[in-house]
Amino acid sequence: MSEWMSYYKNEEDEEEEEYPEEVETGGEYKYAGRDSLIFLVDASKDMFEYYDDDEWTPFDMTIQCIRSVYTNKIISSDRDLLSVVFYGTEKHKNSVDFKHVYVLQELDNPGAKRVLELDKYKGDQGKVLFRESFGHNADYSLGEALWACCNLFSDVQLKMSHKRIMLFTNEDNPHGHDSTKAKLARTKAADLRETGIFLDLMHLKKPGGFDISLFYRDIINTAEDEDLGVHTDASSKLEDLMKKVRAKETKKRALVRLNFHLGKDLSLTVGVYSLVQKAFKPSPVKLYRETNEPVKTKTRTFNRETGSLLLPSDTKKAQTYGNRQIVLEKEEVEEVKRFDSPGLVLIGFKPLVMLKQHHYIKPSQFIYPEESFISGSTTLFNALLTKCLDKEVMALCRYTRCRNTPPRFVALVPQEEELDEQKVQTAPPGFHLIFLPYADDKRKIDFTEKVPANDEQVDKMKEIIQKLRFKYRNDSFENPVLQQHFRNLEALALDLIEPEQAEDLTQPKVEAMNHRLGDLVEQFKQLVYPPDYNPEGKAMKRKQGEGAGQTEKKPRMEVSKDELRSHVQKGTLGKFTVPVLKEACRVYGLKGGGKKQELLDALTEYFSKF
Amino acid sequence: MDLLQKETVGKKYEKRHIEVFTDLSSPFSEDQLEIIIANLKKTGISLQFFLPFPVDDEEGSGDTGDGQHSDMYRNSFPRKGLTEQQKEGICMVRKLMFALEEEGGLDEIYTFRESLERLSMFKKIERKPMPWPCQLTIGSNLSIRIVAYKSLMEEKLKKSWTLVDAKTLKKEDVQKETVYCLNDDDETEVPKDDLVQGFRYGSDIVPFSKVDEEQMKYKTEAKCFSVLGFSRSSQIQRHHYMGNQVLKVFAAKDDEAAAVALSALIHALDELDVVAIVRYAYDRRSNPQVGVAFPCIKDAYECLIYVQLPYMEDLRQYMFSSLKNNKKYTPTEDQLSAVDSLIDSMSLIYEDDDGETTEDIFKTSKIPNPQFQRLYQCLQYKAFHPDKPLPSIEQHLLEMLETPQEVRERCQAPLEKIKALFPLKVAGKKKEQKTAQDIFKDNNEDGPGTKKANAENEEGSFSIANLAEGNVTAVGSINPAENFCVLVRQKNANFKEVSQQLVNRIEQFLETKGLQYYMKSINCIRVFREEAIKLSEVQCFNDFLQALKEKVEDKTLADFWEILIQDGISLITKDEAKGSSVTSDEAKKELLRSNPSSDTDFCGLDQVTTFVPQFPLL
Repeated sequence: MSEWMSYYKNEEDEEEEEYPEEVETGGEYKYAGRDSLIFLVDASKDMFEYYDDDEWTPFDMTIQCIRSVYTNKIISSDRDLLSVVFYGTEKHKNSVDFKHVYVLQELDNPGAKRVLELDKYKGDQGKVLFRESFGHNADYSLGEALWACCNLFSDVQLKMSHKRIMLFTNEDNPHGHDSTKAKLARTKAADLRETGIFLDLMHLKKPGGFDISLFYRDIINTAEDEDLGVHTDASSKLEDLMKKVRAKETKKRALVRLNFHLGKDLSLTVGVYSLVQKAFKPSPVKLYRETNEPVKTKTRTFNRETGSLLLPSDTKKAQTYGNRQIVLEKEEVEEVKRFDSPGLVLIGFKPLVMLKQHHYIKPSQFIYPEESFISGSTTLFNALLTKCLDKEVMALCRYTRCRNTPPRFVALVPQEEELDEQKVQTAPPGFHLIFLPYADDKRKIDFTEKVPANDEQVDKMKEIIQKLRFKYRNDSFENPVLQQHFRNLEALALDLIEPEQAEDLTQPKVEAMNHRLGDLVEQFKQLVYPPDYNPEGKAMKRKQGEGAGQTEKKPRMEVSKDELRSHVQKGTLGKFTVPVLKEACRVYGLKGGGKKQELLDALTEYFSKF
Repeated sequence: MDLLQKETVGKKYEKRHIEVFTDLSSPFSEDQLEIIIANLKKTGISLQFFLPFPVDDEEGSGDTGDGQHSDMYRNSFPRKGLTEQQKEGICMVRKLMFALEEEGGLDEIYTFRESLERLSMFKKIERKPMPWPCQLTIGSNLSIRIVAYKSLMEEKLKKSWTLVDAKTLKKEDVQKETVYCLNDDDETEVPKDDLVQGFRYGSDIVPFSKVDEEQMKYKTEAKCFSVLGFSRSSQIQRHHYMGNQVLKVFAAKDDEAAAVALSALIHALDELDVVAIVRYAYDRRSNPQVGVAFPCIKDAYECLIYVQLPYMEDLRQYMFSSLKNNKKYTPTEDQLSAVDSLIDSMSLIYEDDDGETTEDIFKTSKIPNPQFQRLYQCLQYKAFHPDKPLPSIEQHLLEMLETPQEVRERCQAPLEKIKALFPLKVAGKKKEQKTAQDIFKDNNEDGPGTKKANAENEEGSFSIANLAEGNVTAVGSINPAENFCVLVRQKNANFKEVSQQLVNRIEQFLETKGLQYYMKSINCIRVFREEAIKLSEVQCFNDFLQALKEKVEDKTLADFWEILIQDGISLITKDEAKGSSVTSDEAKKELLRSNPSSDTDFCGLDQVTTFVPQFPLL
């Protein structure tokens, strides 16, 4: 029954649910190993002091930051490995028994319990707890701490694709008086570099300013492809720190690397990235009721007659057009989609203003040069970017993402690098790849005749708009569906009685809005609406209908056999709606698939037989 | 025109679409035009005109026909004295078309030349616009009745492929079954009823039944289109658009008050250069979105355009090295000016001499999706020629996707300059792409459960691409025929050696005495034969077939030999290749006589003696 219900989810359709058929995750799933990240946190006394009138101590900020990374990772990439290590503690716990290095959490997947553990060290209470459990001691050696981190990486049996340490401290010269320790730290940092471990400094504010050149310049090891050529400023606000951490918490992965052909034999290589990608609710795992262990799902294809298993080569693909079945080999189905080899082919340039604001079909991608296949790509790319920005033009290209994808036209819109006040990158340099529609993607619209408003009416609306202005930021809205889902899970995982209710930021703040608007609304209505006009009138009626819809629909769907047959003969079957057709298919035991045309085909076939 | 009128009147009851081919030189009566228009509008008939000359959109405000096409044909059709009658005709047609479609009416008028091209295109998929009625709300006291339509959405194929059995071609013969099993050594199967659903929460898996999930999940209250606030339009970035559609939002039909209210909003937004940030939910079962609604004001209509914006979770903040602050990658002045002239030379904008009017000569939104064109072409072809390989892509389809010829010529010099100024070197080879399909296929054929090797398949599957791969070093057991083809085409290939490898494989297959291996062997032999003819290595093949025949007789492979004969494989004859001295008669004889079913070893020996003396002659 539940399956049947889910059929109805999409009725009214035409308007399918908002999930695209193929989720373009491409590179994400090319599994190369796991990302791993160690938070190495300075736990000396200074980190626990308040500076100026700050709301948080540097340590507080750090812990909140780490916690946010944990919860993000749980949502976005729960297979990544995370770890938290303190140094400068009185107690110690690590595989080589270094003093003053305390491994709080080994490298492992983020989980609910770990988040809870971190929560214990938040705020003033956390500060006390921390002192009691770990204590502080300034006699640490950073080299040893790095060494311990190194061991954490090597203890993990899993394949790791990317190893990174984030060092949180507000001490710019930890071994000012001890050259041996300073030297050890430098040597160890060099070792890390050689073994491909990146070390990023998340330096926090300290009185008198944080001077990277004193010590850390030689220690940090930024990934080559993230070098901004400038050092970011020390973070004094939680927000800033978060931004810095977020930019680095996930390893960027190219969806694909391909050639950008400017002319027949002139090309450079670029990597294609997605900077926006819809985050989905993860799909459920099937568990065995008795033990709650995950089960494996196996799907077998077999022959109905003989019951023997069918291999991919024993099946073909077919479509029916006009009562004729057209059969293609599977390879041919793929071949039909093949036009170009993967790549971007330059067609020409157009002024940026010619890009229509509403020509949109799917989320954009981003390209950045790649030296590994064709050296010299970056310089040419840079020249192109500079000139496109200067001349305010975009490049029009034909884009084939992989072997069997048909080409699409894209506009390459130049993006200049942007840094904020803390010198954190807010927009990377490169081209945005904007997908352009084909003629088939545009739909005809039955538009309403316009009745222009007069100036007075427009001016009143302007007043309303001015009252409700705010600054939109692309990260201001959380997805309430996802947030609620994960809070529910969190509550279940941690045996909380009641899940924390996520605040739904997408709901309009009606009261505040009404308050701000005051009587402007009434004034506007008087200008625009006739006295007895009620804009909600008709919609109310409709709503009632909707509520009763579920029961009403059933009888409506029954169409007699004779009626169906006559429609099939006359070729007017198409006038029925999808739910009716589905019901008819179900009655006659036909499998028609979900699309209208398929249902029609199934019925036509059925009735032409009898 | 009377005829036209009669025909149209006659046709309109059976068809909803009329295509008029005319040269407009017959007289027509304008007085009935209004009636025709009214009728056409009433019955919702679409009308297309096909004329032997182009109609210019002189006074129209809309698009100029079909950008590039009309431009091309204008040149090829100098207006060589249209008759008065024709000119009047044009006026009539123009009037008619504008009356039918307020905007871009001339889009549906084509010249004959264009129509030839057009007709070889398959028609674009039409969809009925689906209105979505709702109320736009600002706070709780102000609402405007609206209706929204999808205006842009990536069109997908209407039909999907069904899986059918390769032999019977019936989909009923293919059945699927899903089983669930525990992750233990025995892979114990568990019944579906004993399953519950769970979700991963980091390292934990949380059992979470459907019922609970349904109860605890986020609930969208109802459909809505509520304004959250207004923001400067520059704060919305084009590359942050999300979702898969663009909505156009109009005032509700036949509601003047709503139309005025929405108009006030549209113009206020436009004048202040701000946009509305909106919460949009399609209905109570769908997830809410946050998106942007910006004004769009045209001559014929005005509306809001809605596009979804990302949630915080959807953003990836990646960091990329600065291109500015890196000396290594800074281009020189010369390099920059070379790129500059490339951009100028490849402009897709046609500008008049006065620089005032510009025209886009490459409108991508007028190009039909080549994927559909190609698919229909293939389907149509396959419907009539089910056994032939797919046709190649039509030339005009490929050309449509290319840089216009004039631009291609203009940019040659700047491209050469760039090539000279920028040192570009191929640094490393891309990794060979191996698809799961390839791997899967291999496994199958090697595995013990091997079914019939798909001989027909392998036959045509050899391609130049394989040559380029260059990773075939020996004839393997998986795709021997293909490997063989690749190897013999390689430079410094030794035909004898390679063919010996193939022969070894064939013998290996025959050892197993299974039908599927027979087919594979025969395929190998056929390929061997073809290549031998092509590369004039006739002797090699004839020798082999001789030897094979003996072996066949030794090993009671009569059934195999029969298939071979049925497939018409014989010695290579004189007619086929110069190097052979075997006549076609002899070749036939050889087949018949060597058929082991006709018994006796002697027969075979006889054969050998017949042919052996001939070889030294080669």
